[in-house]
Amino acid sequence: MKLLEYKAKELFEKYDIPTMKGVVLDSKEGVAAKIDEADLEYPVVVKAQVQVGGRGKAGGIQFADDGKQAQEIVEKLLFSDLKGLKVNKLLTVEKASPEKEWYLSIMLDRLTKCPLIIFSALGGVDIEEVAKTDPDKIMKVPINPMLGIQDYIIRYLLLKAQIDMAHFVEMKEILKQLYKMFMEYGCMLAEINPLALDANGKIIALDGKVDIDDSAIYRLPDIAEFEKTLPVEALEKEASDFNFLYIEIEKDGDVAVMSNGSGMLMSCIDLISKKGMKVGAALDLGGGATADRIKEAVRIVLSCEKIDKLFISIFGGITRCDEVAKGVKLALQEQKENKTVIVRLEGTNKQEGVEVIDSIDGGVVAVDSIPQGVEALDLRRYD
Amino acid sequence: MSVIIDKDTRLIVQGITGREGEFHTEQMLEYGTKVVAGVTPGKGGQTVLGVPVFDTVREAKEATDANATVLFVPARFTKAGVYEAIDADIPTIITIAEHVPVHYMMECYHLAKMKGVRLFGPNSFGIISPGKSKAGFMAHKIFEPGKVGILSRSATNCYETVFMMSNEGIGQSTCIGVGGDMIPGSTFVDLLEDFEKDPETEAIVIIGEIGGSEEELAAKYIEKNITKPVIALIAGKNAPKGKSMGHAGAIVSADGTGSAENKEKVLKKAGCHIAESTVHIVDILKDILL
Repeated sequence: MKLLEYKAKELFEKYDIPTMKGVVLDSKEGVAAKIDEADLEYPVVVKAQVQVGGRGKAGGIQFADDGKQAQEIVEKLLFSDLKGLKVNKLLTVEKASPEKEWYLSIMLDRLTKCPLIIFSALGGVDIEEVAKTDPDKIMKVPINPMLGIQDYIIRYLLLKAQIDMAHFVEMKEILKQLYKMFMEYGCMLAEINPLALDANGKIIALDGKVDIDDSAIYRLPDIAEFEKTLPVEALEKEASDFNFLYIEIEKDGDVAVMSNGSGMLMSCIDLISKKGMKVGAALDLGGGATADRIKEAVRIVLSCEKIDKLFISIFGGITRCDEVAKGVKLALQEQKENKTVIVRLEGTNKQEGVEVIDSIDGGVVAVDSIPQGVEALDLRRYD
Repeated sequence: MSVIIDKDTRLIVQGITGREGEFHTEQMLEYGTKVVAGVTPGKGGQTVLGVPVFDTVREAKEATDANATVLFVPARFTKAGVYEAIDADIPTIITIAEHVPVHYMMECYHLAKMKGVRLFGPNSFGIISPGKSKAGFMAHKIFEPGKVGILSRSATNCYETVFMMSNEGIGQSTCIGVGGDMIPGSTFVDLLEDFEKDPETEAIVIIGEIGGSEEELAAKYIEKNITKPVIALIAGKNAPKGKSMGHAGAIVSADGTGSAENKEKVLKKAGCHIAESTVHIVDILKDILL
């Protein structure tokens, strides 16, 4: 889960990584007073807390020289719509005057299976651009998790980036703390960009991105709390309440796919797309779903307006085909939308399941393999 | 011969007293797996389905000379279970659970490498050598003994393939669920050599998917070291970028790393047969073997 900037900043502060003094605003009242209370010095920067690229260009980052100006900016920006996302919070920080801007991140690298430090003296700008034009200006060093951050790593980074060794102690402290945070918070990415060097020679994290492993959130109560404040798509939310995973695929797709495993979901999507049809949504049932839950899954997918055909492909191990069939039957009995459901059952209790499907009065097509299911969809593509 | 497990494998089930642990122990015993011990802290001294239960893996190993373990424990206890098994010098460790925090698996991965332990999963159906032994929860009825080795990131795609293979009379030597997570204990590269050396295996099937670079690493290895025919399927060509497709590891990054196109390209260059679908895998196998 990606954290908003203010939450990332909170984590940096918790780990004593220097940041600019700031305050989070979530109401329009008394802006100047709140800025004074937080002891900020003008000029300040007001930043919209939304997860979208090009935030600055869209007007999501603005500068204020005094309280009156800050109030005006907040009135306009707070609760406004920025590139389709509602701005519920503003992070207001003192404006920095960096002499130099570096880039520092730690990501979980699947190739080396290690936390990987990425560091560059050319930070602040688009780091992806630097990666293309000046790849040797970006240093990558894997950290052996059995060893952690060692002095030679800092030495290597600074020497390679041609940065004065005078910054060794401070850099070591920041990297050690960032690594500690990375490990304790189960991060996929902990990024500081820019990591600024100010006129007094102090290193400060000016902006940050933190992405946390979804599977680690159960042991991080503060992150679980934060997650509740994020907007969730209605169908995804409804599905997750029943422990299903709903994934939107193509915006204008009219076919939905449902399966008891994500591998098979992907295979089905590939075959349907190859035929030139568009998949709009996929739902992963996981293992062992019972009839009453299957019914909800079918209902949720069919309630999505753009979907008019649903292909259910089951290879039952823990999942029982008769439970699936019963769930489909229940859902179709209550269906108002008059959409077509194509069902393919294989594995545990297949025969019982097929019998239930055969007893359904209209709206359902039984098939005996994935290719047959795709064919059945193709026959009905212009219905 | 077969790969990783065979009829002489002496298996521990960690979490044997849990609902899933007990159910699948019964399935494994029925299949002929030598389940010699169970481990559940606090339940030592009991028996489950005639299998003695111990409080610790070390006691289980001392009493039964077990040489493999499968963990039917929830995701949050998987790391502790793996550490315990590594520390008790169990050479083969198979993990099943979904949603294990990826940092935990990273730590398990490095510890296992350091100690020379073979670690599998998580988010895996386990390992089966049809007709001999199984360690995991796969629906074993669809498997038939034979000459094809399978490595799969997905359980459902593997079942689908195996089901059609068995119907066509093409059996399997060993099938390994490498798992759908970001940092699996063993990946394709770690296992290809085993299948190359296994005299019972005549062809190797790799069922990969989008995300990560394991298929690319496998391609390099295959080009240099594998003489047996390799058939590869990459699922997820039409999955949206930047979204995890249910398997935590099945995600294409914004810069395109992990795309199906690249994986297919390098595997093809390495001399693999590229299958378009699970049906196609079976067609290719028929051409090669029959």
